[in-house]
Amino acid sequence: MQKKETSEKLATLFSLKIGNISGQLEETGRAFFCADTMLMDEDEVADLSSEFVNLISGLLSAKEPAKRTIPQFHALEIFFSELAHRMLMRGGHVEDVVRYAQQLQYSLIAALERDSGVVFTQSRSVLLYFAQLFDELIMAIFRTYLGEREKTLKAQEMELRETSTPITEIWDGVLTLPIIGTLDSSRTMLVMEALLNRIAKDHARAVVMDLTGVRNIDSQVSHHLIQMVRAVQLMGADAIITGIHPEIARALVSLNIDLSGVTTRASLSDGLKEAFSRMGIQVSQKAG
Amino acid sequence: MAVSGMHLTRIGKGNFLLEPLRSMNIADQGRLMQEVVAQVRQGQGARLYYDLNGLPVIDPVYYDWLSNLARTCRIVNIEMICINMEPTAAFALSGFLSGKPEFATALAVPD
Repeated sequence: MQKKETSEKLATLFSLKIGNISGQLEETGRAFFCADTMLMDEDEVADLSSEFVNLISGLLSAKEPAKRTIPQFHALEIFFSELAHRMLMRGGHVEDVVRYAQQLQYSLIAALERDSGVVFTQSRSVLLYFAQLFDELIMAIFRTYLGEREKTLKAQEMELRETSTPITEIWDGVLTLPIIGTLDSSRTMLVMEALLNRIAKDHARAVVMDLTGVRNIDSQVSHHLIQMVRAVQLMGADAIITGIHPEIARALVSLNIDLSGVTTRASLSDGLKEAFSRMGIQVSQKAG
Repeated sequence: MAVSGMHLTRIGKGNFLLEPLRSMNIADQGRLMQEVVAQVRQGQGARLYYDLNGLPVIDPVYYDWLSNLARTCRIVNIEMICINMEPTAAFALSGFLSGKPEFATALAVPD
């Protein structure tokens, strides 16, 4: 008998003609996005509430409102996902959006109750329906948050890689590439791509690769390094490797890496002198 | 000078520039090598600049053609120099090249 009663309330909810309750939901939006955080203005909150009411009305009046594959549910997911994205872009926290969604759930049930006169807060099936619905919507918020975090981390990683291998034209036609930190295959490939493009762009005739800041090297990376030197030479530029640490030299020998076709010098300054001499440039102290 | 599938131009004393066209058929490389070498010798050339501009990838088949042409040139005392190699082509070629190539390389034709 009780089960029948609760199912009837859920059926009532699904057949409800929802009136203008967006005004009642605005308070929740204002509390989270206008008060301290100043993430939205009042007009934006009013639009947000009105859009949410339209979407929830669409879902509740759908043929199968409990299904998660219907377009009305997908529209709500997009609504929360876009809201999370907008708030994160404005410097908001994911917690604000999640708490807003949670509070919106309670406000919505209360508003529907006031609007229809049916006591939904006493119906377990109605409460369960909304709890499951909002759980899914909160998941959409977290998915957006994680996607944004991942994008930020990738961008930072990319930036770090670019700044950790600055290619500088130290003289007309002479490029220097100081490599600092651990060289792995993906980084070596990235450096190679940037270096080859730069040679083509600047018509560089010599490249000095300084490995002073490299402490470890493995077999794969050493092969990439040789490949990089070969590619530079194929483009018609001279490649000079400088600053090879004794540990690296020992590793290259034990890995049977042939450096016979590669010009090496002890330090960056020696490498530059070699590059200048090959280009017929003489740098001398001013007399007097 | 007329060699099918390429432009062969005399550029200064003893230098020739070879610009391959899309229509060049390297499957017929025996004939191509013979014609190129004949033209360069006729013009008393000592250097052949092979322009690789616009060639995005050099695969083993194309490398074989370049190597064979360079070897043929060397036999008749002509130096072959590949110029304007694209970064992508250099990357691809360095991936399978085990030693020094048969030809010299330069950024461009020297001024």
